[in-house]
Amino acid sequence: MSTKLQIFMLLALALYFVILFQLLKKKRLNLKYTILWIFAGFFMLLVSLFPQILFAITDFVGIEVPSNALFALIFFFVIIILMALTSIVSKQNEQLKRMTQTIALLEKRIRELEALSGHDKT
Amino acid sequence: MKTLLIIPAYNEQENIVRTLQDIKANAPGMDYVVINDCSKDNTRKILKEYGANFLDLPVNLGIGGGVQTGYRYALEHDYDIAVQFDGDGQHDARYLSSLIAPIISGEADAAIGSRFIEKEGFQSSAMRRFGISFLSSLIKLLSGVKIYDVTSGFRAVNRSMIAFFAENYPQDYPEPDAILLSTLEGFRLVEVPAQMRERVGGQSSISSFRAVYYMVKVSISLIVSRLSHKRRKIK
Repeated sequence: MSTKLQIFMLLALALYFVILFQLLKKKRLNLKYTILWIFAGFFMLLVSLFPQILFAITDFVGIEVPSNALFALIFFFVIIILMALTSIVSKQNEQLKRMTQTIALLEKRIRELEALSGHDKT
Repeated sequence: MKTLLIIPAYNEQENIVRTLQDIKANAPGMDYVVINDCSKDNTRKILKEYGANFLDLPVNLGIGGGVQTGYRYALEHDYDIAVQFDGDGQHDARYLSSLIAPIISGEADAAIGSRFIEKEGFQSSAMRRFGISFLSSLIKLLSGVKIYDVTSGFRAVNRSMIAFFAENYPQDYPEPDAILLSTLEGFRLVEVPAQMRERVGGQSSISSFRAVYYMVKVSISLIVSRLSHKRRKIK
């Protein structure tokens, strides 16, 4: 890996971390959902500081060019993060369902209370 | 025994009153609760004018989430038996007493009203019957229990299954999945003959365009349910 590429990768990563921490600071990101992003960032940082890691992975997996191994790694991280997002969406769907049901159960009790006290507003 | 009819209703302005009148005439002494699943038509208004006992979901949850609301209501109000009864008029309240009979006698934990035992009344199209028999075989393969009318939404459950469904009920196209889940949990299911009518107004929740998608999706969800579930001992 050329020194030039290494410098650009470090610059890109610096930008990546600045954006990440800005979002965290403004509470636009929940820390528990950001762990994966931070982890992926640190891994990329290691790879750009010590390209030997990338060469080792390239050899080990049987990829010919290190840049392809880099693409494969990034793609892998993106897929993991997408899966995590789907899982979060599913969990929220379940929570939303339970809350919707609870609202309906409560709304009926309120309606009955209002009917009892003669305050029918709807 | 305190019995609750859970009546899911989505855009059923043309059918819901008829359904409630059928229940009043043919199943006196049974309570009911209509679950209005955020209907876009006048279902809510009609329910209110009729003075019906109903729950009003603020967000559309689909049939599974709606029915589960009914099970939570049944649990909250301490019912012994809960019966799912469609709001579109295709179920017949005259069959309610024979449906809940095996639950009252303790013979089974759940009873499924089945069109295919005596093969009377509305039998659905040949395509759908083929799909249903495929799903029925798949459930037999996955659980060892043979239920013929796996998509029937006419079913009764006892108190312990009310508690189970209040916590675990599949959300989309849930009828076959609920059968598999409850047999895997060790509940005893029985099929009871029942006649159904063809729906008069409104739209079925399963349109013919979606039939194939429905089959694939249900099959996958059944297999996933089986794989992610450890079989319990028969209760």
